[in-house]
Order: sequence, then structure tokens, then C-alpha cells
Amino acid sequence: VLEDELVTRRHLVTRGEFLAIYGIGRIVPSGTMSAVAVAFGHRFGGQPGVVVALLGLVLPGFLLTVALTIAFDRLAQGGVLETIRATLLPGALALIAVAALRLGRTAYQSPPDLGFAALGFAGTLLLGVNPGLLLIAAGIAGIFLFGREPRK
Amino acid sequence: VTLAELTGLVLTFNVVTFGNGPVMVPPLQRHLVGTGALSLDQFLYAFAVGRVTPGQANLWVASLGYMMFGWPGAVVLTAAVAVPAYTMLPLVAWYHRLKAERRVAGFIRGVTSASVGLILASTIQIGRDTLTGPVEWLVFLTALALVWWRRWNAILALAAAGGLGLALRHLQLL
Repeated sequence: VLEDELVTRRHLVTRGEFLAIYGIGRIVPSGTMSAVAVAFGHRFGGQPGVVVALLGLVLPGFLLTVALTIAFDRLAQGGVLETIRATLLPGALALIAVAALRLGRTAYQSPPDLGFAALGFAGTLLLGVNPGLLLIAAGIAGIFLFGREPRK
Repeated sequence: VTLAELTGLVLTFNVVTFGNGPVMVPPLQRHLVGTGALSLDQFLYAFAVGRVTPGQANLWVASLGYMMFGWPGAVVLTAAVAVPAYTMLPLVAWYHRLKAERRVAGFIRGVTSASVGLILASTIQIGRDTLTGPVEWLVFLTALALVWWRRWNAILALAAAGGLGLALRHLQLL
């Protein structure tokens, strides 16, 4: 939608420029879309543009998230928690499982990727290693193992 | 857990996972549910809310923040996942150098691959406490099938699977 608006309809940036911004956004430690919002906000409005773009991106989801969280507090006090526990929460767990499966499908490039996933799984479930440390260790190992591969 | 400690955790895990909301599940589960700061019900509800609301996948931390510290918690944790986006500005300036940097790609690939195992492990850990009866299992498998195989939208899948669970409980069929 953003590409269609900025590149095709308004001709504000070229497709190459858009893809470059999007590509860099993928390695920014905040999530791709907020990084893209910062880049285009700065490009078109300087610092105020960044603030406006970030607020425009975050505010709708933020308000809805808090509203639904307030609803949970009310429902839990009203004794509906048992129903939520049997209906909504198993569904939420399924969404976590799907997130893992989808991530696995996009992440897999070669057998060593499977090894990393297996080590993450075993390290968390069987050995009880801190997940944060595991992620950092996997990243450092990735530098040595994958960082020397030629770009495809 | 104080608000400052929670903010530090979210900031760290968000940076390490490159803002990937589901990948933050394992470390936050360990630090918040494992220590008793939040119940598993609250934690899972917060994640579900994050999946059915618009915006970035890591915004579910606003729900965690609200549950633990009210509005200040929600605002501060949202800022903690949004503000690192400012690193985009120097990165854009260094784009051509960064483009050729294979070590960055290697780090991301290592983290991403390990994350798959971590999230699956978390699913099993949480499932031990959540999937306690046939209705819960049926809701879980129905939602899984609808989202993964049938590619349903998360909101519709949660509504359909939850409605099925509600009907089964009401009719006491399982």
C-alpha cells in the first residue's frame, strides 16, 4: 500500500529508492515498518515528520491494544476468565506456533539453519538456557558461519 | 520487576530480535511468567491482542505494559520498541557500505534460524499449562489449521476456534 501510494500514485520516490529504504528497514532493530516510517518521515518533514510518521503508524494499534487489555481486566474480574482460558488462549497459542512455522519457512536456506533452530529448541526446552543469551550467541555464530558466504 | 527493569528487558530483546514480535515471546515469557510478574493467561492474552490489532507485531508489549503498570507502562514500552527506529537515519546514510557487509546478514540469519526453535520450545512450554483438556486442544488445533493451512485472518480464526470451544463447553459435549 505504501509503495503504491509513494511510488506509483504520487511519484514522491523512485521504486529503487523505496526498495533500498525497505531493505535497510529490515535490519533496523525496531521492526521494518517503523524504520520505514522514520526514513520517509525524515525525508519529507525532518524531525517533526519523523514524529508524525511514527505516531501515525503506532497510535491506532496502541489505542486498540490498550482498550482490549482494559477489557481483559474487566472480564477477568467478572468471572469470564475460565471461558477465555478455554477458548481465546489456546487460539493465541496456535498463533505463536504458526509464527514459528512461518518464520521457519522464510528463514530456511540450507541445513545449518535447521541446526540453529534445533539448538535454539533444545537449549530452551531441555537445557533451560536464557533465550536472550541464546539469540545473541546464535547471531555471533551466524557471523562466522553465514557471514562469509557469497551473496546470492 | 520494576518499570525500568521491564523497559530494559523489552528494549534489549526488541533490539536483539530486530523488532520481531513473536521472537520476543520466549525471553519475555521466561522473565515475566517465569518470575510470577504476570500470569500465563495475561501473557497469552497480551500476545493475542497484539496479533488482532493493526500495526507492528511487537506492539503487543503495550498490553504487557498496561497489565503491569497501567498507562505509563503501555506508553513507555511502546516507546521502547518504536524509538530504536531512529537508527534508520544513520543507516540510510551508510547504506552503500552496509549493503556490502555480510556479517550483518550473517548475524540476522543466525538469530532468525535459532528463533524458530526458541518459539517452538515456548509453544510447548506454554502448551503444558494451557492445553489442559479436550476443548482447549480442539480450539488450539482448529486455530492452527485455519491460520496455517487455510490461511485465515487471525481475528477470524480466533473467533471461529473460540466460538467452537464456547459451543462445546456450553453443550458440555467434551
